Amino acid sequence: MSYSILIVDDSLPMRSVIKRTLKAAGYGKAEVLEAANGQEALDLMKNAWIDIILTDYNMPVMNGLAFIKAIKKDEVAKDIPVVIISTEGHESKIKEFMDCGAAGFITKPFTPEAIRDLIVNILGDTDYEEDLDESDDDFDF
Amino acid sequence: MKKILMKAMMTSISEVMETMFYLPVEFGPESEFCQCGMDDKNILACRLTFTGDTSGHLILAVPRNLISEMAENFMGEPREYLTEEHLSGTLTEMLNMVCGNTLSKADSKAPFELGIPEAIKESEIAKNDIFTIVETTESKMAIALKID
Repeated sequence: MSYSILIVDDSLPMRSVIKRTLKAAGYGKAEVLEAANGQEALDLMKNAWIDIILTDYNMPVMNGLAFIKAIKKDEVAKDIPVVIISTEGHESKIKEFMDCGAAGFITKPFTPEAIRDLIVNILGDTDYEEDLDESDDDFDF
Repeated sequence: MKKILMKAMMTSISEVMETMFYLPVEFGPESEFCQCGMDDKNILACRLTFTGDTSGHLILAVPRNLISEMAENFMGEPREYLTEEHLSGTLTEMLNMVCGNTLSKADSKAPFELGIPEAIKESEIAKNDIFTIVETTESKMAIALKID
């Protein structure tokens, strides 16, 4: 089984970095989908199965918080775990993310280990181990 | 407050440059933009506003050769595959990470909001704005913190 992972970030380079990190973390077989903001992600989710969402907070059109709130109102999508990856790591904002139902929070700048550990913790590590055996070793942990 | 923010900004720049761009940095003296030795170079610049207990903006100016090196390290792609969107996206993401990290370090309990980073032309930078020089092994960039 391979996962379907949705990356939501208005920065093209940051989406590339997260994709590369996922590959190195053992999710090389995962289907990775991309959206540039929350609204684009919601549109994409109408026609795609998603196992986990990694989203930025500070985006034009629809930010990460509004995106989570929209997901939690959706009967089909509300149980998809959403991880916020953001530069805005002050305590009240993190609490707001978690209160809205975020499954986790990663501060930018991040290490590959931070992303790997959080995803493994949320999705479980069975498929991670399976994927890791076949992944490219782009960089060492 | 500016002293606290400046100290947090320098720590944040070091962390962001080393963690995401694999480039160690050292800090040079502050100087007016026109005396940074950068205004005659081919630079890319962007600005990011922040609001909260303290409001203001950051301006980051980076020579094209350095932002290419940063984008190459950041994305793991050879320089010849990098587009203008990759370069400007790397620049704005760098400033976004530095700004958010700086404000969180300065006061982890104080809420703030960041704007969307915007590319600006070199001509939009006031020549007498005070910038901090950030030196890498082979190049340098300049960053200014302005409080409203």
